[in-house]
Amino acid sequence: MDQILFKHNRPDRVISFDEYCAESGFRALRKALTGMSPEEVQQATIDSGMRGRGGAGFPTGKKWSFVPRDLPGPRYLICNCDEMEPGTYKDRVLLEKNPYLLIEGMALAGYALGVEHAFIFIRRGYELAAENLRRGIVEAERAGFLGRDILNSGFSLSLEVHQSAGRYICGEETALMNALEGRRANPRAKPPFPAVKGLWGQPTVVNNVETLANIPAIIDKGPAWWKSQAATPDAAGTKLFCISGHVSITDCFELPLGMTLGEIIDGPCGGMRNGSNFKACIPGGASTPYFTKEHWNVPMDFDPVAKAGSRLGTGGIVVFDHNTCMVAVTLNLVRFFARESCGWCTPCREGLPLVQHILERIEAGYGEPPDIDILHEHVRHLNHAFCALAPGAMGPVDGLLRHFKDELSEHISGKCCPFRRDTTHTC
Amino acid sequence: MPRLIIDDIPVEVPEGTNVLEAARSLGITIPHFCWHPALGKAGACRVCAVKMLDGPVKGLQMSCMLTAQNGMVVSTTDDEAVAMRRSVIEWLMINHPHDCPVCDEGGECQLQDYTIAGGHGIRRYDGLKRTHVNQDLGEQVAHEMNRCIQCYRCARFYQEYAGGTDFGVTGHAAGVYFGRLQNGRLESPFSGNLVDICPTGVFTDKTARFRARYWDYEMAPSVCPHCSLGCNTIPMARYRELLKVTARRNDAVNGWFICDRGRFSNSTVNATDRPRQAMVDGQPFSMDDALDGLVERLSEFLELHGPGSLAIVGSPRMSHEGNIMAARLAEMLGAGTVSYFGDVVHAERTIEAVSLLHAGNSASQEDVRHADLIAVMDCDLQDEAPMMALAVRQAWRDGAQVFSVGSECPINSAQQQLFDSTAVSSLSDVPLASAVRPLIICGTRHKGLEQIRAAAASSVRLAFILEGPNTWGCAQLAFEHEAQPFSQTVADKRVKGIISLEADLPAEMLDGIRVLGAADWRQTGPLARAEVVLPTCAWVEQDGTFINHEGRAQRFKQVMRPGLPIKGLNREHHPPRMHRHDAPGGDILPAWQIVAELIKRLGGEQINNPLDAIWAELQGLSAEGPGVLLNREK
Repeated sequence: MDQILFKHNRPDRVISFDEYCAESGFRALRKALTGMSPEEVQQATIDSGMRGRGGAGFPTGKKWSFVPRDLPGPRYLICNCDEMEPGTYKDRVLLEKNPYLLIEGMALAGYALGVEHAFIFIRRGYELAAENLRRGIVEAERAGFLGRDILNSGFSLSLEVHQSAGRYICGEETALMNALEGRRANPRAKPPFPAVKGLWGQPTVVNNVETLANIPAIIDKGPAWWKSQAATPDAAGTKLFCISGHVSITDCFELPLGMTLGEIIDGPCGGMRNGSNFKACIPGGASTPYFTKEHWNVPMDFDPVAKAGSRLGTGGIVVFDHNTCMVAVTLNLVRFFARESCGWCTPCREGLPLVQHILERIEAGYGEPPDIDILHEHVRHLNHAFCALAPGAMGPVDGLLRHFKDELSEHISGKCCPFRRDTTHTC
Repeated sequence: MPRLIIDDIPVEVPEGTNVLEAARSLGITIPHFCWHPALGKAGACRVCAVKMLDGPVKGLQMSCMLTAQNGMVVSTTDDEAVAMRRSVIEWLMINHPHDCPVCDEGGECQLQDYTIAGGHGIRRYDGLKRTHVNQDLGEQVAHEMNRCIQCYRCARFYQEYAGGTDFGVTGHAAGVYFGRLQNGRLESPFSGNLVDICPTGVFTDKTARFRARYWDYEMAPSVCPHCSLGCNTIPMARYRELLKVTARRNDAVNGWFICDRGRFSNSTVNATDRPRQAMVDGQPFSMDDALDGLVERLSEFLELHGPGSLAIVGSPRMSHEGNIMAARLAEMLGAGTVSYFGDVVHAERTIEAVSLLHAGNSASQEDVRHADLIAVMDCDLQDEAPMMALAVRQAWRDGAQVFSVGSECPINSAQQQLFDSTAVSSLSDVPLASAVRPLIICGTRHKGLEQIRAAAASSVRLAFILEGPNTWGCAQLAFEHEAQPFSQTVADKRVKGIISLEADLPAEMLDGIRVLGAADWRQTGPLARAEVVLPTCAWVEQDGTFINHEGRAQRFKQVMRPGLPIKGLNREHHPPRMHRHDAPGGDILPAWQIVAELIKRLGGEQINNPLDAIWAELQGLSAEGPGVLLNREK
């Protein structure tokens, strides 16, 4: 297995522009602009089987193909770097080490889409990444990889870094566009989809950092090679997995898509911490239902994870050992989502605080048996929120109800959290 | 036209109708908070959930977000939909205070209705409620944020529909706050509509706070008397006091809203010092005796000076019935003059403007909202007809080009800019021919008409901003009866005495002229000098008709009985010490009835309905509905 995204990384610092160029950087861009049509770049992306790395896993090339090419006015490309999903930090690690892959990837995507203005919408806290990108853009412009008439191909692209004012909802693509336009970051109704009517009413593609950073490799070495980097024949490419929680080594690893959960934990993560036992994990960022020991051998790829009842999401894996109270974990997550609701629709704005309240009650030992029904009801009803935030927020609650019903009941019948019995609470 | 089935009832609706509206057309009300006909869909409240049983979309859906399509089978009563709606109500009630007994919205609260209808009664949340700090939004609109259910209607109306910039949404998640940056009077001249569109009690009418419940109000469909647009209203009164005025929907006229002037400028009706007592030579008389007194003086006057020196003066702010009667009185007495307008130039302009209108070119507010090019000529819309400015804004939001023509058109200098416009000096600079639905709005206070004549010949639609609620009617009557502007009759020195009917004549115009009688409900110049004072009913105290700027006759109904408001009674009147038929100050009549009485007492016929001859078609006019356009065919 080759590293695709991390292969240029220096252990202690960001790679320089010259170093990147020396390691065949911008070769893909040169190849595309001198020998490929935009359609061919898009076709290569489709052929690679690349699925969006931002969480939803939508095929990237297909998304590009939805953009109508015959509408008047500009089209836009936005890189979504508002990485705020708890447990997810891959884009930060990538950009703090190497901003050029993204810049090259956006130039390629911009070429494929016929875009002249592209934006990088970056999380407020990612100061270093933003600084790297700003410097990288200037360097790329100077070298003629961005700006007017790139490599004498007639293709022009300006790239702008926009630092978000903050909030989780800005990662939702339509809310992101509202934020970029200077409006409140409320999601927009779909349809119309951004591919047809997006930023300032124009066709817009929003892609994740990791997605775009993979495009140079797909163009440079070909879609077939790129696809073959996965661990299984069904999967395509590599994936950045960011691991946190009770394992020996917590870091962001670039691994072949399709490795099983067990292989990841026992391999690069070096097993569970201090000999503790695996109890559960969040497989793909805070909004995905839990995996338990029974999912140990599920290949970490989009379809197998979905089949197992969760989502690969962003690849942010948070591991919990046998001493972890899953009610407390869920409460912590729900608290985050309730805080991060944009406040637009009722289920999210009012429903999540109610779920939070119920979980607080259960965790504190005041839960009643009907509380479980309330949680079930909310898993159902929060699906009908305006955007995907509330349904996502109920992912962990759904997992809690499916896999840890006994633990929940124990909280209620024992009138306290069983994991705190010896310490804080008297029962 | 899509055909769908809602609760087993087949229905066909116009293209683009959403499922919620389609259900409404069948009389099925799907609960809704954020959706509003004038503001469109938002998808925020999620209470309009229905179950789609079959068709292009399946499962639980928000009916406001779903455009009706062929083959849809909708259930509003499906268990899943009902459960979802109940959940939404439960969520909204988590933080909503249980202060209905002291909330002004109680009884007219959409949240209250849907909470009870939805069956949410048992509280499962036992935590603390979220609270907010309220703001002082000025003298007219009260703010009680704790009641907010975050439907976003207020911010959408204020910012998008009405172009306001000083009020909006702040905060996020459960802390979303609707207000201003800091305390202060709402700047928009349409701010009062927040009271109407808020589905619960966040915004209430401060001027009517704590005065009555919805079921206490005396109310009736009415028409606003404050400008020539004739916006539809529902005034609400109690204990002979006009408490508040709300907007009444009329799609052809004002749509769903009214301006703040129409809503908040009505306290004159309640004024204790308003003319309520008939007087003869400064002494109080009963209405009956005062009428006899006027008849006596009139007879003497006619004998002494002859009918040629008498003028009967009507007024564009009086009901059309009153103005018809003014002409009939003049006719009966052979009076030398009947007047409807004071100033000569203004009268000429008004009459010419009205004569330029015909059935094919008169433009309503609805026409303005859908125009694609609008020229505003020599008028300050926000001052002369605020709702027209709001209508222009809607067209502008849809992409219409707006031109301001002439020097008296301070659109861009107005307090609040509702739309962008290009200033040009002459109508010939406006590319009328390039538009599909061009429209000219022209004032009559200033010049500008000269340029309209040429335009009137083409197919451009015209809207004139006239002076009062019945100016169109007065112009027609003036034309029909060859009325003279009052200042002209004064200049001719023909007139020696007048009977003034709700006329606003400046005092200097009356020098050397006897005001034999003046009928009015407002303290005006003629009334102060009148030998016989005859108090009349305000528009809310009578049935009547106003004909608006486009020639649309609209009926307004009596809202309340006349009389001193109980709130204003002093010890002389309260508690009552003797039986009487009228309330104190209630011995007054509508202007047209006063004239009818005079005609009868002068030996004429008994007139029970002034709407006859050419006005007979107005007799059956309903107060509900769009009204009737009286413009002749071209």
